Amino acid sequence: MSEESESSLLVIILDTNPGQRLVQEQAHVLTQCLESVIAFANSHLMLKAANKLAVLACHTKATEFLYPPPETGSQSMCRQHDGQYELFTHVEKTIRQSIQKFVVHHIERIKQEGENTGDTLLAGALAMSLCYIHRLERELTAGAKMNSRILIITGSGDSASQYMNYMNVFFTAQKQNITIDVCSLDQDLGLLQQGCDITGGLYLKIPQLQGLLQYLLWVFLPEPPIREKLVLPPPVKVDYRAACFCHRELIDIGYVCSVCLSIFCKFSPICTTCHTVFKTPGPLPIKPKKKKIKLT
Amino acid sequence: MAQSKNLKCKHLHDYLKTLPTSVLDRLYNHPTTCLAVYRELPEIARHYVIRILFVEQPVPQAVVASWVSQSYSKDHTTVVDVLSGLRVWQEAAIPGGLLGWILNSTFKKNLKIALLGSGKPWSMSSHLEVDSKPRDIPYLDTYALERWECVLHYMVGSQQQEGISADAVRILLHAGLMKRDEEDGSPVITREGFQFLLLDTSSQVWYFILQYLDTVETRGLDLVECLTFLFQLSFSTMGKDYSTEGMSEHLLVFLQHLREFGLVYQRKRKAGRFYPTRLALNIASGHNKSHMNMHREGYIVVETNYRVYAYTDSNLQVALMGLFCEMLYRFPNLSVGILTRDSVRQALRSGITAEQIVGFLHMHAHPRMVMAGPPTLPPTIIDQIKLWENERNRFVFSEGVLYSQFLSQADFEALHEFAQESGLLVWSNAQRRTMVVTRAGHDDVKRFWKRYSKGGN
Repeated sequence: MSEESESSLLVIILDTNPGQRLVQEQAHVLTQCLESVIAFANSHLMLKAANKLAVLACHTKATEFLYPPPETGSQSMCRQHDGQYELFTHVEKTIRQSIQKFVVHHIERIKQEGENTGDTLLAGALAMSLCYIHRLERELTAGAKMNSRILIITGSGDSASQYMNYMNVFFTAQKQNITIDVCSLDQDLGLLQQGCDITGGLYLKIPQLQGLLQYLLWVFLPEPPIREKLVLPPPVKVDYRAACFCHRELIDIGYVCSVCLSIFCKFSPICTTCHTVFKTPGPLPIKPKKKKIKLT
Repeated sequence: MAQSKNLKCKHLHDYLKTLPTSVLDRLYNHPTTCLAVYRELPEIARHYVIRILFVEQPVPQAVVASWVSQSYSKDHTTVVDVLSGLRVWQEAAIPGGLLGWILNSTFKKNLKIALLGSGKPWSMSSHLEVDSKPRDIPYLDTYALERWECVLHYMVGSQQQEGISADAVRILLHAGLMKRDEEDGSPVITREGFQFLLLDTSSQVWYFILQYLDTVETRGLDLVECLTFLFQLSFSTMGKDYSTEGMSEHLLVFLQHLREFGLVYQRKRKAGRFYPTRLALNIASGHNKSHMNMHREGYIVVETNYRVYAYTDSNLQVALMGLFCEMLYRFPNLSVGILTRDSVRQALRSGITAEQIVGFLHMHAHPRMVMAGPPTLPPTIIDQIKLWENERNRFVFSEGVLYSQFLSQADFEALHEFAQESGLLVWSNAQRRTMVVTRAGHDDVKRFWKRYSKGGN
């Protein structure tokens, strides 16, 4: 009754940014990853009947839910065509169809606007999944319990431009008891690693892309309560450098606004975030001695 | 003594272990059973299986053992036992003299099919045309509940007795939930039956099906075929119709039985299609099933003044409450009862345990109660029900040896002191110079007495 009646919600965020190095070098990598992710998603559903799944995709312009599909009213669930469990077939088909639509739409938009710059909107996708999780948790019947976690699968590099958004999302997740896991396909990601550390999730940079499915199943399939029982990769040292608000660069030492805690790499007389005016730094003023009230 | 027989609701896992290995091996020939078995494995075992699902060679046992952190190594041993017991994996030798684990090849193949596809479809439903009059989910829910309550009604002996067949009665009798009355031969409910009534619906269905499966072979049906179909049913989708095409004669009989209990819906016997209902879905989960899947809202409010309010118009539910409550009023949508010592004791006498009463109240607690909780139920009520149960266990029997007819008070006191110090004394009476020591302590006391009387003389 105790452990078994808990369900578990897994939200997967897929990065479909065409600017990723992996995709640019070999376009079929995305398909390969998709296969692994679908198999992984179905394995999650296979673990328990009550388990739930959501999949999002995001690129430089938009974020969209791939699964569950938007409710259109008409139950157009396909018939079983081979030995696969119907639900799994449904998941697989829905994800494939919607990701196709999503990517094609994005390509058309790039053609129209003639540019594709900027970072993947991972922070936005995270915020969307937090909202989704929050909604599902509110809809739970009284007494039921749900473990929620988010898994980000990305091949993009660090994007310090979204530093603030990231931090907001991470701390919200921490407050809501939602674990954020990150699976990096290409580079080491400092910022997202911080997120994992803050929310108690796992961070893994995959050494070999061919083994993606096995890495996912080994490291990210166990849900947080059971992770303590299994031996998983130990946490690595996290780079906790912050990005400055003026140039969005990671810095070791900087200036912090005493009012709103914004970080700057150079001194500026007016805080750009809260418009507080600072005095120019001079020698520290000597504190006037306060009169002590004597108690008789 | 008093706790003679409690109704045991077996898990799928326990049930499968009772089956002969040949049956087990045949069961794994179908993806549905593999999926059902997989879901019922302990959580760590599920991760073990998925980790080696795509590995072709045997994995060294030492490696598998290292997957679990040191402090949970006990979990590991139980998991290994379960997996071997169900023949999910087998021992295999690895070159180099080490022993390894390898997944049962049929199990592996079929679990992969269930997860990733390929192979044959489970049923012939893909060729089915669209139903002209499809049934929606609420309709199926009410239908299933109605059918199931028919069975329960029959057991409680309420007036509504139509619609239960001789077959169902036979299963109830076989399961020991009812027995033939000695006088007129009509079935009456047993103590197990009372306990059964207080279970939640999914456990009831699973218990019932288990009993049914016991009798399946005497009906000339094939157990493996039936189980496979049952699991297939449990992994189907609500509100979808499935074809009966390609099903054997035996299975069609089985389907008719399931129809009677409300596990499937068929418009007509020869309709050629059927709809699974919520009772059949995830059937194997039994009482592991979370409350989320429960289709009925709670209706009971318990107050600290022992009053029980049931917001229901169902005769059955009122009758169930009547098992341990004294019913006071009955309104169109509300019944009021009161928990008294007498009413609870009567329930206890008929074989229901206090835990089951509390469990029942807990399970059907009104959403308002659940929201106000935890604790959902007033703790005083729970304690009192348990106290009423303990009241019945006033006598504690313990074996002992009686010592009496001491010649002097000094002798008695010496022995008494010895027995008391070594904790062997059960009872004593100084005036009558008698005492009782435990069976185990008899030898010690005797030895002491011999030494004492020798030394004294």
